Amino acid sequence: MSQDAILVVDDEKNIRLALGQALKPLGRPVLTALSGEEALEMLHDPGIGVMILDYRLPGIDGMAVLERASRERPDVAVIMITAYGSVERAVEAMKLGAVDFIAKPFAPEEIRDLVSRVSNREALTEADARDYRGRLELAKQAIRRRNFAAALDHARKAVGLDPYRAEGFNLVGALHEILHDREEALRNYRLAVEVDPAYAPAQTNLERLVSRRGQGGIAWDDDAGEKGR
Amino acid sequence: MAKSLFIVIVGCGRLGSHLANGLSAQGHGVVVIDLRPEAFAALDAQFSGFKLVGDAVESEVLRQARLDQADLLLAVAEEDNVNLMVAQVGQKVFAVPRVMARVADPAREEAYRQFGIQTVCPTTLAGEALLATLGRSGEARR
Repeated sequence: MSQDAILVVDDEKNIRLALGQALKPLGRPVLTALSGEEALEMLHDPGIGVMILDYRLPGIDGMAVLERASRERPDVAVIMITAYGSVERAVEAMKLGAVDFIAKPFAPEEIRDLVSRVSNREALTEADARDYRGRLELAKQAIRRRNFAAALDHARKAVGLDPYRAEGFNLVGALHEILHDREEALRNYRLAVEVDPAYAPAQTNLERLVSRRGQGGIAWDDDAGEKGR
Repeated sequence: MAKSLFIVIVGCGRLGSHLANGLSAQGHGVVVIDLRPEAFAALDAQFSGFKLVGDAVESEVLRQARLDQADLLLAVAEEDNVNLMVAQVGQKVFAVPRVMARVADPAREEAYRQFGIQTVCPTTLAGEALLATLGRSGEARR
């Protein structure tokens, strides 16, 4: 059975409308849920392959929905919607296999690209990983499968292919943090900031880890702040 | 405009909200920025874009609006100076392919034009419309 359908979970009407409109050109069925409860009910539908989920929901919040979905429907890829600049519990989301984040507001093309990338990721193999992007995608595929050691290996290889981009270093840092190696995490966040001081997620991660006070998650946003866009 | 565009609108006053509602209804992706959260009350229930509270003079706010991704920037805030500045930043820093601005003072239109920014001046438009109407009624009397 094909898993073409996309489930949008947001209590804000304008976000549901914006996503519906942006996703229309993909020609895939788009379902919407206004609450976490409704989303979990709808996830019984085996046709759903991607869920776009807001962290903030009335009732059961996005993290709780993700937690249950990761147990009941581990085959569904989840994209978390975040508020701009926030790093809302990203480490927890990552531990539950959610590796994609999109900040509000987003451009229609961005969300379409992301949904396509997420949908194609499962089928990726080593042969697809000749370049930086491909390696990062394989790292994310491994995180989705909760294989953090394999993810770290891919992320390191990505960095080896292009040591002038911040996202790879930030990802290596985040994976070290998940694997409880604070020193290596710090070192890689620093390298990320060094190659691109404008890459906000790494800056946030570094500050949080240095201060050691932060309760926030690991900032690791695909697109936010990367240069050359 | 057949293709769906990503449009950033600065100012959600009478003109800004009108544009935001219309462009959103046409199926375009819209982000509308205003300093005052209450300004967004002028948006339709069907408005399918994003509302952003902030001062568009700060480039961080424009970055947050994803102006780097925008196909079109409409600078329609209350003040001409704000519109001129935002339009210039949109053009030079964010390389937005098309930038349009509202300018209340006809004397400033020339300045905008020199920067390559398309402008609409309500004063000039209203003046021309009034003159045209007067002209027609004048003819009718003869």
